[in-house]
Amino acid sequence: MTTSLRALALCLLLVPGSGWGLEVVDQTGRVLTLPAPPRRIVSLVPSVTEILFAIGAQETLAGVTDFCDFPAEAKRKPSVGGMISPSLETLVTLKPDLVVATRSGNRAETFDQLKRLGLPIYLVDPSSVGDVLRLVGGLGELTGHRDGASAVTADLERRIKSVGERIAGRPRPRVLYVLWPDPLIVPGRGALVSELITLAGGESVTADQGAGYPRMSLEAAVGRAPEVIVLASHSGGTPVGRDKWERLESLPAVKSKRLYTADGSVMHRYGPRLVDGIETLARLIHPELFRPEASGK
Amino acid sequence: MTGPARLAAVCGGLALLLGVVAVGSLLVGSARIGPGVIVDLVTGRGPLEGAERVVILGIRLPRIAAAALAGGALAVAGAGFQALTRNPLAEPSILGVSAGAAFGVVLAQISGLGQGVVEALGLTAFAFAGAVVAGSAVYLIASTGGGLPVHTLLLAGVIVGIFFSAAITVVISLVDTNRLGGVIHWLLGNLAPIPAGALGVFGATVALGFWLVLGRARALNLLALGEEGAQELGVDAERLKRRIFAGAALLTGVVVAFVGPIGFVGLIVPHAMRMLVGSDHRVLIPAAALGGGVFLLSADTLARTVVAPAELSVGVITSFCGAPFFIYLLRSRVGRIMP
Repeated sequence: MTTSLRALALCLLLVPGSGWGLEVVDQTGRVLTLPAPPRRIVSLVPSVTEILFAIGAQETLAGVTDFCDFPAEAKRKPSVGGMISPSLETLVTLKPDLVVATRSGNRAETFDQLKRLGLPIYLVDPSSVGDVLRLVGGLGELTGHRDGASAVTADLERRIKSVGERIAGRPRPRVLYVLWPDPLIVPGRGALVSELITLAGGESVTADQGAGYPRMSLEAAVGRAPEVIVLASHSGGTPVGRDKWERLESLPAVKSKRLYTADGSVMHRYGPRLVDGIETLARLIHPELFRPEASGK
Repeated sequence: MTGPARLAAVCGGLALLLGVVAVGSLLVGSARIGPGVIVDLVTGRGPLEGAERVVILGIRLPRIAAAALAGGALAVAGAGFQALTRNPLAEPSILGVSAGAAFGVVLAQISGLGQGVVEALGLTAFAFAGAVVAGSAVYLIASTGGGLPVHTLLLAGVIVGIFFSAAITVVISLVDTNRLGGVIHWLLGNLAPIPAGALGVFGATVALGFWLVLGRARALNLLALGEEGAQELGVDAERLKRRIFAGAALLTGVVVAFVGPIGFVGLIVPHAMRMLVGSDHRVLIPAAALGGGVFLLSADTLARTVVAPAELSVGVITSFCGAPFFIYLLRSRVGRIMP
């Protein structure tokens, strides 16, 4: 999608239609007509669930997925199952007046089935930090929580700027971010994590790889001589295969004890916590710029 | 040529070839490192730290050793199963023995084994147990009064393989993926670097398996004449079969434990070697050990260079080579031999 079209789509248009109707343009440019602002939303996207809570719109959430684990209250909402194959039966019985889905993470089949059931679907397709900020604004408009959304975006922008000011003019260490160890999956061209590393003052050694999150051989990754290695942990566990990396003792990053662990759920999700991700990465990449506090070691 | 001279010539030639392939494999990879630096590192003159040292000594070299060992082990296991069943299509993955071993490994993985020496031994034990259970099941299903008919054996192997694959799927779907780590990737055959201690366990177990099979090579030649004939010549056929089965299952199990269930090596290599050196097991088995190393090392070198900087699973390459080969054998004279 061209940038201009995307920008147009992201500026959520709320056009008072004829009579009661409400015309909404989602993030992919689809126009949907809602009879009234949605009061029972089923979110099939963990980051959207996070945003709705952050802007104070949690009362509109009628259902979530098993992966919507933040904030803790999200887990108390009724779940429709996984993101890949949510239970349509459960979903329908929740009587949603809007379903929020994503192009990356939900399947096209699910989208088609929901369409056949006549449920209005709001598609999100964020791929950058800017997209997330716009998504927060869009969901604020949609649910009538504009003030909450503005407060969230202002706070996030302020924190991103603050990190940017600290790292200005500093050298950028070479960072290897390990999304999954076996097969080795890394952030590539256009991946959110590649952008987070840049914003945190590092240079990702895999940013020139394939689009999104490509697979890479261990040899190729190590051969790029990373100075800092960040292993993502998933669902609160320890990262898989940390010992494998620790054994590569003559690698500069390991030798200088710059092999870190970071919580993957704040790095990979297009939600408000990605700014926590930027701050965490900045502390790991530039420990000299931050007061000593709990590091991710 | 006399027996010993022929053995020396064949093994010498294959060992030389293995050496050439290993050197070639050491020189190529997704990290661009000049030959001069590689020679320095291998001969101990290189830098004591840095990314290049890790790539060559920590990743490439152990991987080459593991590929050569695994290939040799699978080829000897294949030759052993073929001698045991007197069936040219018998092979660890076709017989379902690999799937049984893989199920054993997945069970061991759930208990969260790391990569130390003790864990390596535990993993091998689980894989061996799985291989023995699967192999025994195939034998019981397929054996009729008159031995092991080709097609019955293949079908029994397929069924047992499917059963264990299903069991693995059940475990994977019930257990948190974090705890299973790279299991799904490993199921396609993955020669990730093995730590030195575990590589030692791997090597020692392969040596034990070689000894179990190769030590009775002469008796295997007699077994080829048929069990009764072998008995008349003083071979205890039952005992011999148990020993060969244990050796082949151990070799299959240890390879599955360390690099995953890689298919078809045990089919392609023994056949190629039979064409090259004939069917005298005293020459065939050492030749298969070296030839298997050459084949799997070549396949893995291809797997890690062809889509660099990403890599393919080595099992994908061996299956692409092996499946057509299997069909060819099934349709040729070999597959129609009915005991």
